[in-house]
Amino acid sequence: MNLTTMAAWSCRILLQRGTRLISVRTAAESPSPLVGCIRTVKTTTWFEEHLTEDNQEYMRKSTAEEYRRQMAEKLNPLKDEPWPRHEWTEGTRRVGLVAVKLGMAPIWTKTGERHVVTMLQVPDCHVVKHLSKEAYDGRTAVLLVGGKNVSPFHRSEEEMDMFRAAGVPPKQKVTTFKVSDDAIVKPGTPLYAAHFRPGQYVDVTAKSIGKGFQGVMKRWGFKGQPASHGQTKTHRRPGASGPGGDPAKVFKGKKMPGRMGNVFVTAYGLKIWRVNTKYNVLYVNGSVPGHRNCLLKVRDTVLPNRSSTLLNPPFPTYFTEDEENLEEDLYDDDLFVHTEPSLTLT
Amino acid sequence: MAVCTKGLDKYILSLRLLRNFQLQNERLLSTSTCRLATEKDGGKPPKFIPPSKPIIIDKTQTAASLRKFLSPEFIPPRQRTDPFKFSIERKDMIRRRKVLDIPEFYVGSILAVTMSDPNASGKTSRFVGICIQRGGKGLGATFVLRNIIDNQGVEICYELYSPRITKIEVLKLEKRLDDNLMYLRDALPEYSTVNPDIKPVPISPTDEVPVNKLKVKMRPKPWSKRWERPKFNIKGINFNLCLTPEKMEHAQKWAEPWREYDMLKEYDTSKLEEQIFSEVQREMNK
Repeated sequence: MNLTTMAAWSCRILLQRGTRLISVRTAAESPSPLVGCIRTVKTTTWFEEHLTEDNQEYMRKSTAEEYRRQMAEKLNPLKDEPWPRHEWTEGTRRVGLVAVKLGMAPIWTKTGERHVVTMLQVPDCHVVKHLSKEAYDGRTAVLLVGGKNVSPFHRSEEEMDMFRAAGVPPKQKVTTFKVSDDAIVKPGTPLYAAHFRPGQYVDVTAKSIGKGFQGVMKRWGFKGQPASHGQTKTHRRPGASGPGGDPAKVFKGKKMPGRMGNVFVTAYGLKIWRVNTKYNVLYVNGSVPGHRNCLLKVRDTVLPNRSSTLLNPPFPTYFTEDEENLEEDLYDDDLFVHTEPSLTLT
Repeated sequence: MAVCTKGLDKYILSLRLLRNFQLQNERLLSTSTCRLATEKDGGKPPKFIPPSKPIIIDKTQTAASLRKFLSPEFIPPRQRTDPFKFSIERKDMIRRRKVLDIPEFYVGSILAVTMSDPNASGKTSRFVGICIQRGGKGLGATFVLRNIIDNQGVEICYELYSPRITKIEVLKLEKRLDDNLMYLRDALPEYSTVNPDIKPVPISPTDEVPVNKLKVKMRPKPWSKRWERPKFNIKGINFNLCLTPEKMEHAQKWAEPWREYDMLKEYDTSKLEEQIFSEVQREMNK
């Protein structure tokens, strides 16, 4: 018998014992420990039940290797039967990307100013599915885009069907992008960082860092009360929650303590300073929501004043066949490139 | 008799040493070309030709004997960031280092930094001071220079990879007993005063970097921080002059001797350092 099944068995035996033990004492105790026990049950998948450990190891390695090879070959379904492409017109909405947050770094402009940028890597980003206007909500067409390859052995069968139909490995994150009808891309098309160009502005959506249950000062920026001058047990409390007798209630939406963070947040209008086309890295101005190594969604900005920066972008997306002699690094015009000599300011 | 022979031995040894020095000197300096040129034209009063600068070539030094130095900002901090991020940053750092010569220096070395500054007369400003702190990793690495100008302490924090920096000179390469000299703020001003016109002190690239074992005298308390506390672990302050033994004993109350056995805090960078060092050397020589 292999190790994992053994572990599973022992776990089960333990659980059974645990339930038996608890059943003896159920009369005396509340059923909460029982619930805790059940929650720790690991649901075994087909993969774990039917394969020995060696075989599992082999499957994991071989599939990972296969996916890697598939990514290196840059298989593009457009080669066999491309969808019709349209011209870029102002007001069309392109598809976006799924990226991984690497971290932050400083950059300098040609005037010697320092800015900070967030580095976003675009790993194995593919269009997974296209939903037409009718299939989605009757208003816009939608493209599902996935990023970052993962193991196929812990995905549900419906999900796997979607990926198989597109001919791409399963993805860790799949997001929807509302696109206009002329900007649709065939499922299975790889998306690269060169989809965005330096100088344009993007919106970045991600789940913010969870802070847990927080008081009113941290969560909403209330002032709190003084530290001294006769305060008793009142330093970080919310104070009054509204008027008294007339409404005789607390209004809905009153700012109170509670769970903070871990919600989807969008940072709007972030400039792209630099794009690395070899490693697919975007250098986006300022900070973006989410922790390090989190997966986020990057799209053209919706801010009306920044639309002028989006002139003639790669449409509907960047295809490697179109611009084969693209440089490794694309820089914004104002950006200082480290190969240039030091600045002399006037 | 024995004493006599010992003395003689010493004398012979010193003579040998002297001869060696002479030989080395001959090898080091080559000024012969200049002399030949003056002998050729005999009749006319010879026009003054300034002697060419002696070219110092030390053939004894090889790449292996050079001291190994990797700037501390190349070593990534211990965290869960993707190592790829640091490698891509390193590429930019090497690109910048190919343009600007960033020399080897340590906390305690005396540096002169020239920086282009639109508000300075002549559009550049030069500042000489003692390096009291090195901070940051990757492209955001910084160092702080301190000097006392017109009886006023001045500290400037420079970004190592800022394109505004045009020149970094090391006037005196040395280490101190501590890795952070922020306590110079609370020391007597003479310890952070540097003459801006000092000449650079040459040091051979093969020698070990000298450690200046200076112990500074502090101003009377209060200080900006309680430097006697064990968490700072400062060796470069002469505490005997400013604190009583009882107070020093009292400071040990905050000692946390178990920290050194904390295995979660261990971060052995030696392997990583070697890897990065070879990578940087390879890229710089390209």
